[in-house]
Amino acid sequence: MSQKTVIRAERVSRRFGKDAAEVVAVDQVSFSLMQGEFAALVGPSGSGKSTLLNLVGGLDDADDGRIELAGRDLASLSASEKSDFRRDHIGFIFQSYNLIPVLSAAENIEYIMLIQGVKGAERRRRVDEMLEIVGLSGLGHRRPAEMSGGQQQRVAVARAMASNPEIILADEPTANLDSKTGIALLETMRKLNESEGVTFLFSTHDQKIIDRAKRLIWLEDGRIMGDERAQTL
Amino acid sequence: MLILRLALRNILRNKRRTSLTCLLLVSALVIMILMDGLMMGVTRIMVESLTETLEGEAQIYRRGWRDRFDPALYLDQPDEIRSSLDADNSVVAWSERVMTPAMLASSYSTQGVMVYGVDMDQERKVSRIQQAQVSGDGLQGPGDILLGDALADKLEVTLGDRIVLTTSSLDGNDLVQVLFRVRGLIRFGPSELDERLAFIDLVAARQMLEMGDGSHQFVVRFEDASIPNAPLVLLFEKVRSEVVDAQGWLSIQPAIGAMLEMSNFGRIVLGLILFLLAALGVVNSIFMSIYERLYEFAVTKAIGTRPFWIGRLIVLESLLMAFISVAIGVVIAYFLGGYLESEGLNMGQMEVSGVVIPDRIKPQMAFNQFVEAAAFLTVLTMLTALYPALYAAKITPAEAVKRSL
Repeated sequence: MSQKTVIRAERVSRRFGKDAAEVVAVDQVSFSLMQGEFAALVGPSGSGKSTLLNLVGGLDDADDGRIELAGRDLASLSASEKSDFRRDHIGFIFQSYNLIPVLSAAENIEYIMLIQGVKGAERRRRVDEMLEIVGLSGLGHRRPAEMSGGQQQRVAVARAMASNPEIILADEPTANLDSKTGIALLETMRKLNESEGVTFLFSTHDQKIIDRAKRLIWLEDGRIMGDERAQTL
Repeated sequence: MLILRLALRNILRNKRRTSLTCLLLVSALVIMILMDGLMMGVTRIMVESLTETLEGEAQIYRRGWRDRFDPALYLDQPDEIRSSLDADNSVVAWSERVMTPAMLASSYSTQGVMVYGVDMDQERKVSRIQQAQVSGDGLQGPGDILLGDALADKLEVTLGDRIVLTTSSLDGNDLVQVLFRVRGLIRFGPSELDERLAFIDLVAARQMLEMGDGSHQFVVRFEDASIPNAPLVLLFEKVRSEVVDAQGWLSIQPAIGAMLEMSNFGRIVLGLILFLLAALGVVNSIFMSIYERLYEFAVTKAIGTRPFWIGRLIVLESLLMAFISVAIGVVIAYFLGGYLESEGLNMGQMEVSGVVIPDRIKPQMAFNQFVEAAAFLTVLTMLTALYPALYAAKITPAEAVKRSL
């Protein structure tokens, strides 16, 4: 596996509120993530893991520090450049699936490629490929409301994968799934990590993810309290 | 065309809301087209009423005559004007008149009137004098007179009665009195005409005023009523001189012109009010739709959708609603307009500036009304969608993740 750095965060801080009401959600956090890692930000609620995921994904701006993703300093990008950057370099998986309800599973996957400007024939080929990878071949015509939570989250994974991102950021992806479905989804993601070399960074306190992650970055009160790799887990 | 499918499915998410929004747009479009047709119909009636009653589409007269209708200001050499009128291909008909203020006296009453000396063969081609005749044989000879029926009532005369016409000679030094017999009653409609008009034979009028072959006025009818209002009218250029003036009906009746302008302005104002009301409904509907999809927009932005894409989607959704509304509205307006065009709309008889508007007004439907109203509605709906589109485009993607916590 290549040793290219995908994420580099240096002394990153994010504060909310002002004066006495100020809360430091992320406090002087530094870490790096190499290509092909299957890592998780772990910690209790309010520990700052989702805020850190937002900062890393360019959805929010850090108050201090510097974040580099795929070699680009996120602070140097304009809003539109950030949109394009997220589209081309980052795949997102959210807790509540977040598929576009009026589009079919296949169209949801196609959408990301459409905004990337991928041509129609290539889009359709990729859609079929992604559906097969996540085990939903033959279900592409179904709308999200016609699918189970697990199936919807698989579509979300396929959508995140379809843009050929360098990293997939997943915020509590198994939180709304039953245990069996959650495990199946995680196995799918782990296979993608191993076969396609896609880098995954989770934000979670789900034991199933913790058990399968190859690296755990422990957060508490916005600070990194531990950084363990698989061999030490 | 995924974005088109997405937009179409988005507007079908809440069918009731979309139906109500479209209903609002359809109503605005139908009302606008029909009101426009109705106003065009009223305008047509006013113009026809004005030009076909007595005033004609254009008049040729001696300069200064229209200021006071002084009988002494007459055209004493009208042959050149007659030749010009006959030679002009755009002129359909013309009639010359002698006009003088006079006093009519019956055995019971006297009334001040305006007497028109007319050639009935010419006159019936430029005015409604023949249609307006409600009784009697009309002008048969030099001793006959036609009276407005309201005037006859005031004079307490009827067909066959004799009346004396008294007027001053052209130099103003003598009185001229002639006996006439009532040979017909006419009714144009406006009371100010029917109480104050009398018609005698043109030759008799000339003899009475001793004005030879002269005339006070030439009334002209063209192929098209708009011809005399053009910036350059060849006939006018030809007959105008230091002595002779020629004007189209808009210049002769500036009040009607102003009224028509006001009518046009009113159409625009009405259209704007209607469409602004519809626009408010559209804005409300789009915002409700956006608020329901805030999270979705945030997510789509999070995965890399540019703000422009989201704004474009909102505008596309509103345009689709506009297109659907235009399609339905045009069909309804077409059939409803067609029905009203044949049956008319009963609004009661009105008299505006001496012009009688009949009780049943028939709208005048035209292709351009449909095109203009449809284009106006579509553009306005699109413009209306810009603000909510901008709002949606500015939604911050971080909202998506906050909601997922």
